[in-house]
Amino acid sequence: MSRLVVFLTLVSLCLFALSGLVGTAPLSLEASLGALVGQGDAAARTILWEIRLPRAAAAFGVGATLGLAGAALQGLLQNPLAEPGVLGVSAFAALGAVVAIFFGLAGISGLIVPLAAILGAGLATLVLVVATLRGANSVTLLLIGIGLSSFAGALISLAMNLAPNPYSLSDLVNWMMGSVANRSWADIALAAPAWAVGTALVMMAAPGLRALSLGEETAASLGADIRRTRILVIGGTSILAGASVATAGAIGFVGIVAPHIVRPFVRHDPQKLLVPSALLAGVILLAADVLVRILPVQQELKLGVAAALLGGPVFIWIAARLGRASA
Amino acid sequence: MISANGLSIFLSGQRVVTDLSIELGEGEMVALVGPNGAGKSSALKALAGVTPLAAGEIRIDGVDARRLSLRARARCIAWLPQARPVAWNLAARDVVSLGRFAESPAAYDHLGGADRQAVDAALEKADAARLAPRAFHTLSGGEQARVHLARLLASPAPSLLLDEPCAALDIVHQLSLMETLVAEAASGRAILVVLHDLELAARYCQRIMVMEAGHKVADDGAQDALNPHVLEHVFGVRRDAAGALVRAG
Repeated sequence: MSRLVVFLTLVSLCLFALSGLVGTAPLSLEASLGALVGQGDAAARTILWEIRLPRAAAAFGVGATLGLAGAALQGLLQNPLAEPGVLGVSAFAALGAVVAIFFGLAGISGLIVPLAAILGAGLATLVLVVATLRGANSVTLLLIGIGLSSFAGALISLAMNLAPNPYSLSDLVNWMMGSVANRSWADIALAAPAWAVGTALVMMAAPGLRALSLGEETAASLGADIRRTRILVIGGTSILAGASVATAGAIGFVGIVAPHIVRPFVRHDPQKLLVPSALLAGVILLAADVLVRILPVQQELKLGVAAALLGGPVFIWIAARLGRASA
Repeated sequence: MISANGLSIFLSGQRVVTDLSIELGEGEMVALVGPNGAGKSSALKALAGVTPLAAGEIRIDGVDARRLSLRARARCIAWLPQARPVAWNLAARDVVSLGRFAESPAAYDHLGGADRQAVDAALEKADAARLAPRAFHTLSGGEQARVHLARLLASPAPSLLLDEPCAALDIVHQLSLMETLVAEAASGRAILVVLHDLELAARYCQRIMVMEAGHKVADDGAQDALNPHVLEHVFGVRRDAAGALVRAG
């Protein structure tokens, strides 16, 4: 394991500890630490174990999977601006969630909305896999992704227009902004298997991503199975993005920012980029979530909004630099 | 080593290579020449296995290439394309290490001793050892070309296909490239190199294949392949009294 991975793991652990100590409920440091080891009163233990830690786990998990998905997609498409949103998978996951809310299915069970999001991501994945099997190259995939995103966006707008009552409209807005507030261990338990499967698929594609540094044709001549790499990355990132949207709603830019920061530390190797990017994205989102919890504002800032406020300018900066480099 | 028969290739519905046959044996160094659009690059791509064949058959060491896995094929044939994108600002040495991919797809740090030796030797042969630690995108065009050449030489494959390797190289490095290729052929490798410089081809290659409009029109020693008839009708040039190539007619 590289020093970078060890360092990021330590930072993650520190942030986990920190996130157990902060929140709206007034809980002293002593009470928090006591609750952590199973001491102290029941209320403190509930706040720590049922509210703060699952929330931290959700923030880190969502961040890590978005970072991994972003790094993998960037390697596949040889484009530092790629992320799950680019392929339209996040948009379709959000669409699935929105449809479930719109048709009032959300009331049946807490699991309906997450399942609908994974289903939506699966639908987009299916389109992408079919295109891949027909030999679509990276540019075609990007264009299909843009089409899927726009289409899902239009359908989401339609759902919002037709929303039968203001209650569900505010639900939609919450969903689209992204948040990990009030996540339970049950939410994590639903997402974790998907995270594991998606991560495994992406890691199997890692050597192929390195060969793709030299473009698709040269990579094929080097002995890399590019079609297999494409299917693994598209399938894996779709599952990762779907599960993340299901857990936290739409949170953008983390999947672009983290790999961009990590890249110089791994000599720009798209294979070695994967794990540190996941860890750093988890760290970023967990830190952002700690931040929105301690910011002294009337209504808690949505995590997705905080992520976009930080990530948006970085995205534009990378895009501008790329434009200059190719000019 | 490579025996291709009756190759036909279509690119977006357009026929670019017709009934092409190529024989390339151990220790041979062969030039593939022809005017722009003659189908040279497509022929190389077909041999490298990155362009589908409309007709014909490629046998590598007697085995039908279609029966070989991508990796097995990459262990037999290495290809230096004309367009050489490098998506990320990799260290030059890491680009060369990718030449070992078919042998060991593991990450750079985990390359075995034999792989590392092959990379070092290739960097030396391509006069790129000095460039090894540099970030690829900070190199000049000619320096990048030398790193790509090292990537090709590092390959485990006995057959090398090079598409215009001299482009972007200064005169000294063009000559040393040709000498390196001659040495590789002498050590048993089979070399097929696309060249535009006919003098360079005649001077260093034992055999020259001439392509025109998708067909092979000559395949012989330098003197015979580049005879006055071919020079005038394929390339539109002739030799003047001093032996220099000038525009015909």
